Amino acid sequence: MNLKRRLLLSAIAITMAGALPSLAAAADTIAIITPSPDNPFFKAEADGAAAKAKELGYEVLLMVHDDDANKQSELFDSAIAAGVKAIILDNAGADASVAAVQKAKDAGIPSFLIDREITSAGVAVSQIVSNNYQGAQLGAAEFVKLMGEKGEYAELVGKESDTNAGIRSKGYHDVIDQYPDLKMVAQQTANWSQTEAYTVMESMLQANPGIMGVIAGNDTMAMGAYAALEAAGRKDVVVVGFDGSNDVRDSILAGGIKATVLQPAYEQAQLAVTQADKFLKTGSTGVDEKQLMDCVLINGENASKLETFGLSN
Amino acid sequence: MRSLQLLPLVVAIAFGLTSCKVVKTASKSTTSTSDAAQSDGADPIAKVAQETFEPKLLPLIAQKALTVADLRKAVGAGLDAAGAASGNRGAGEGAAWNFAVKGEGKIISANLTSRARKAELDTDGDGTADLTLQLGPVINGTALRDVAPFYNFGDFRDQIEFAQLARALNDLASARLVLPDGDPTGKMMSFQGVVPLKSAAEPWSVTAVEAAVLP
Repeated sequence: MNLKRRLLLSAIAITMAGALPSLAAAADTIAIITPSPDNPFFKAEADGAAAKAKELGYEVLLMVHDDDANKQSELFDSAIAAGVKAIILDNAGADASVAAVQKAKDAGIPSFLIDREITSAGVAVSQIVSNNYQGAQLGAAEFVKLMGEKGEYAELVGKESDTNAGIRSKGYHDVIDQYPDLKMVAQQTANWSQTEAYTVMESMLQANPGIMGVIAGNDTMAMGAYAALEAAGRKDVVVVGFDGSNDVRDSILAGGIKATVLQPAYEQAQLAVTQADKFLKTGSTGVDEKQLMDCVLINGENASKLETFGLSN
Repeated sequence: MRSLQLLPLVVAIAFGLTSCKVVKTASKSTTSTSDAAQSDGADPIAKVAQETFEPKLLPLIAQKALTVADLRKAVGAGLDAAGAASGNRGAGEGAAWNFAVKGEGKIISANLTSRARKAELDTDGDGTADLTLQLGPVINGTALRDVAPFYNFGDFRDQIEFAQLARALNDLASARLVLPDGDPTGKMMSFQGVVPLKSAAEPWSVTAVEAAVLP
């Protein structure tokens, strides 16, 4: 008990110390908290939010929770202690994040969520998320077409704690399961990870050499799967991803991966900052808390227009 | 300290033993009620779809439907203005305008072997197809849900439930589409449905709620 308390206190002390430099800055600061920028999707998000915040005259406090809800909670403590005016958040778990966002609200700091929903309404000011279900249906419809409505396929599912992993999988199956000649022979998580997808794909292929298609919950897993298929001499297998990354764009243009679904991450993060700014100035965003943004199918026809999670006209 | 820790354990064991049977029955009945609750949980969406499809949605489409020519003219003059006047926008940024539309056209080609049956129609008589009609049983998209102002995203728990509503409406529409056997290419087809448009220039894909090959 005592030890626990001491640990907790020292953790607070550390986060306080970390927060001090930004506290000294004292200008109106917006905290931007996201998963690791190792995934270019989250980097685009952080970049988009930071660019818009600076454009609107705010200082930016960039923080990374690495999909760890405990770490996220500490980052919220830091942000609160630093006296930030608003928090832009791509959260570390739909249930686990409610308490952190509530904590900020209690401290008078509004949160604006992007990319992932939380399970409570009225805690965050805005929740702007890609219409993952609509996007998954687009990707699945393209996958079905590429497969000629038949054949064995495998699914790579994302990280279980991320609500979008389940939403996308449901969206895929909502479409694919209406085609009785498409048979899912393997379904496994690769936790959004490229390296994990590579090894999972290797073993899936060994167990099911008849696989003709792979539908992946995101682009990094699609990249890992395609690399494994290429190494096994199975470039004929149809691979479809989700996110609209530059890596997959390049693969599509080179005739590798067949399609993905663009989430407008950069634009979405900018919209969240714009709403935060409006809320701080007027006390209201003027729009509903929960907002969807439509996704766009990317294939050989429009891949060349894709750059850093945005589509040029 | 140690005796304090042991006490709840002892209590738990004592209670656990005496109440063994009771707990079992209780947990059984809880399971069955939660099963019922679960199927109830899946039902509300289907119920919303059932209760609104025929009484509200079909009349709305029939009443608001413009002819293909009129809608093309309106959209050509400006999508947002046409949408505000006679369409409805789906939830969220970048969502399409959805328009009820009716008309007839010559079937230039048809794919009726796919699970997502389609017919390409020429509605302006120039000999080339100018719209695609979705004929089920697999219907892609959310046009039927999004054409109606009375389905609001905010009234649903999350995007999954809202998507389930769209699927339920698509399935109800699909059940109404009965096509005659044989290749209908070259024949006339009449239809009523909804077209979602994100830009004035995009090709039309109409989700049909009624379609008939004319004699």
